[in-house]
Amino acid sequence: MSSRRQALAAAVCLLGSMAHANAQHCHSALRGHIYESSPREPLPYATVFVRETGQSGMSDETGYFEIIDLCEDSSYTVEVSHIECDHLVRIVRVRENTAIDFTLEHDAVLKEVVITEKALAPAPAQAQATVSQTDLDATRGANLAETLRKLPGVSVLSTGTTIGKPVIQGLHSNRIAIVNNNVVLEGQQWGREHAPEIDPFSAGKIMVIKGAAGVRYGPGAMGGAVILEPEPLRKQPGFGGWISAAGNSSGRGGILAAAADWRNPVSSLAARIQATIKRSGNLRAPDYFLHNTGLAEYDITASAGWRKNRWEFESGISSFNLQTGILRSAHVGNLTDLQLAIASDIPLNNQNRFTYAIDRPFQQASHLTLRNRAVLRINDTWKLSGQYVLQYNQRREYDVVRSSGSASTRPQLSFQLWTNTLDAAIEHQPIRHWQGGIGVQAIQQTNFVGRGGLIPDYNALGGSVWIMERRRRYPQPWEFELGARYDYRHTAAASSGSLNNIDTLVHFGNASGTTGIIYHFNRHCSVTFNSGLAWRPPHVNELFARGVHHGAGTFEQGNPALISEKAWNNNLSFQWNSDQWTAQVSVYSNRIRDFIYLDPQNTFVLTVRGAFPAYFYRQADAILNGLDGCASIPLGKSLHFEPGFSLIRGRRVTDAPEGDWLPLMPADRYQYAIRWTKPGSEQRESYIRLGGTTVLHQSRIPAAGLLKPVPAAYTLLNLDGALQLSTGKKPVEIGLSVTNLLNIRYRDYMNFFRFYADEPGINISLRLKLII
Amino acid sequence: MKIKVSSFASLALMLSVLFALGGCEKHDHTEQENITTIKLLVTGPGFDEVFTWNDADGPGGNAPVIDEIALPASTTGLQCAIVVSDESQSPAVDYASEISAENEAHLFTWTVTGGASLTITGADQDASGKPFSQITNWVTGQASTGFLNVKLYHEPTDKTNSANPGGEVDFDIAFPVKIQ
Repeated sequence: MSSRRQALAAAVCLLGSMAHANAQHCHSALRGHIYESSPREPLPYATVFVRETGQSGMSDETGYFEIIDLCEDSSYTVEVSHIECDHLVRIVRVRENTAIDFTLEHDAVLKEVVITEKALAPAPAQAQATVSQTDLDATRGANLAETLRKLPGVSVLSTGTTIGKPVIQGLHSNRIAIVNNNVVLEGQQWGREHAPEIDPFSAGKIMVIKGAAGVRYGPGAMGGAVILEPEPLRKQPGFGGWISAAGNSSGRGGILAAAADWRNPVSSLAARIQATIKRSGNLRAPDYFLHNTGLAEYDITASAGWRKNRWEFESGISSFNLQTGILRSAHVGNLTDLQLAIASDIPLNNQNRFTYAIDRPFQQASHLTLRNRAVLRINDTWKLSGQYVLQYNQRREYDVVRSSGSASTRPQLSFQLWTNTLDAAIEHQPIRHWQGGIGVQAIQQTNFVGRGGLIPDYNALGGSVWIMERRRRYPQPWEFELGARYDYRHTAAASSGSLNNIDTLVHFGNASGTTGIIYHFNRHCSVTFNSGLAWRPPHVNELFARGVHHGAGTFEQGNPALISEKAWNNNLSFQWNSDQWTAQVSVYSNRIRDFIYLDPQNTFVLTVRGAFPAYFYRQADAILNGLDGCASIPLGKSLHFEPGFSLIRGRRVTDAPEGDWLPLMPADRYQYAIRWTKPGSEQRESYIRLGGTTVLHQSRIPAAGLLKPVPAAYTLLNLDGALQLSTGKKPVEIGLSVTNLLNIRYRDYMNFFRFYADEPGINISLRLKLII
Repeated sequence: MKIKVSSFASLALMLSVLFALGGCEKHDHTEQENITTIKLLVTGPGFDEVFTWNDADGPGGNAPVIDEIALPASTTGLQCAIVVSDESQSPAVDYASEISAENEAHLFTWTVTGGASLTITGADQDASGKPFSQITNWVTGQASTGFLNVKLYHEPTDKTNSANPGGEVDFDIAFPVKIQ
């Protein structure tokens, strides 16, 4: 390692005492054997790779391997992998001629698939953040947006307390993609009161990719993507599983979730079934119950995987079903009602009592996914994969109705969306240090909307082709990524009536690209720069909407002449990861041409319910700049300080008034926590953490628009912890989390219902997880 | 062979679910109230007129067409009945009978503004003897102009407070008024 690089690493990272001094003797060797776990036999042709030096070796017929020219008394990260086995990473300290044996699990079908998948498609060379296992466990039972809320650069756009959508660096809805188990979720994302139909319980890992991710995930990922990955299927023969139960004090809610895993001892077949049930009643703000904020949810996912020779198959079915009440006081008839509601300190039409009943207005959403995937390993380098997915999304909205006639049993709005997607890709392991693939995708969608639905019925067809390549050559510290994609979408919409009366055809085609560079200072510290071009066609609601948005008290009108949004996203991020310290900071600038937004017209549209301020969809160039980051800093042996922050500035740069702030940009947020971890519990962590979140007053709001009041800044305290026990040999986890510990009364700018009621008060949640 | 069987089984499972879904109704029956037309039927000695507020294409698009309420000056004994309907459908959907059937959950309010010399008082009550005001008595004074604001409240919390009865507004419309 050159001293110059060493100096640079030290300068940028500010910390770190890398032990690789130049004066060391680097003539030691690492030798050993690689074995299969059962039967315990030597494993030939396994690859041994040393991350720090980029050296690699292969085991011979006896399982023996040797890597020479390693430095004495240094730590190295050694990866051992074999095409038919699990993959293993160990940190090894090389003394004089160290000998070490590694044992690999043979025939670990699905685990292998997952690992190989990662090897084939490395994590994108762009800013990302992963929900820590601790936070994932602590928020089990909450919706997806709540689960992501603590990540730097991520916030929540909510409609009351029961409906939340993730916002990545200021962008949400149609501008981000939610990818669950390799499937891009297709629902009615355009609606800001339409939460994603995802059960976070089904995920073993949740990650957010920040910035343009369109090359990987299609035009829906212009502003980023949320990636959910399930736990891999069981590797060992037999049964396994877990059961988890939780209770919440606010809403007197209960959550029950369980999973059963099975692997056939005589074949490669493995399967899982996982289910979640949730029920809760009226939540409570510090001073009153929030009437009609109950929810009922049940979700079930089943998946199976097996393989034969060079083929691997995976099939899955999942069903998500949610019924959620909408705060009764948020239902207003007209602008006068809205102004009365805004003027009132307490929610109007509220019933200050607890009930589990869910009355009108409420939403019912269900989502069904059928997934089939096949992979053919052509040889050690090349792999061919195909995936077919059917998604059926149904959303029904039940409004408060005047009569007790047929309207009282039927929804007032309904949407049904059928999506078929077909993917094919050919991917390769490194060839002359380049690793990547090329693929195609076809998508077909049919949308049925009941009468009176803001958007028309439509049929859409699309096709995409993409290519992505990544270069890393050890020991060079550089890593490069290049990707390009072309998408075409054709939409036939029936602006009135059914699909038999198609009257509008729109089509959009655009190219997107991404380029990323990673510089590894050392194995703990790296800097990533990503520059991406992404686009998004205007959605049917932006083209054709025409109606009163009752929750917001506005009349919204689409514009069929809108063109595609184009984003140019530049993102620089820095990561530090060592045993004790972790830190990540990212700074970005997202320039969006023809950004589509709702523009207040300063006129009123006269309707039977009175006059509503008019908002038309318009386009102008916009720029979003931001800075976010988080860290975990050791204070003592088992004490950590965990700060975090998210800052964003979004402005229009064309169209009068120029430089006006964009609506609904998250306010500045600062987080801080002190965590104590029980010594020796690093694997399955027992900890307690006291944290706070401060959200500042959002003063950067558009000059025009009638709904002015922006809530004041607030600070919330949270407490959470977990205790790992064992009953017999079975691990048991007990978790506690208390949100809004001081029962603060507050409202949030990103919640549409800030006009009507306070956010919920203190909630104490207790959970128990038993691993079988 | 075993593999073939399991892949076949899974395919069969998926297809059966598909068919089960395909069996569902393709179009949901939704029911959304869409009041397009409000008519005031005003009758009295030697007077019989209908004043209409009509927004045939619903919110947005074309602006509503609103009649001017022209009334003779210094007249007593005028009575007004209100008709609420959705004329965008055929046949038109009548909401007035539904509203009067559920009169306890509804309240019409009548407010004259802008100096028109018109006095309106409720002529009916709901099933529990509280104001309802679907039928109203009208008395005009000297020649003048102004506006008449009519609202329908749904589930009002205080029916005696006609200025702010609570609940939600189902419609909120204004007619120009001319007393001559």
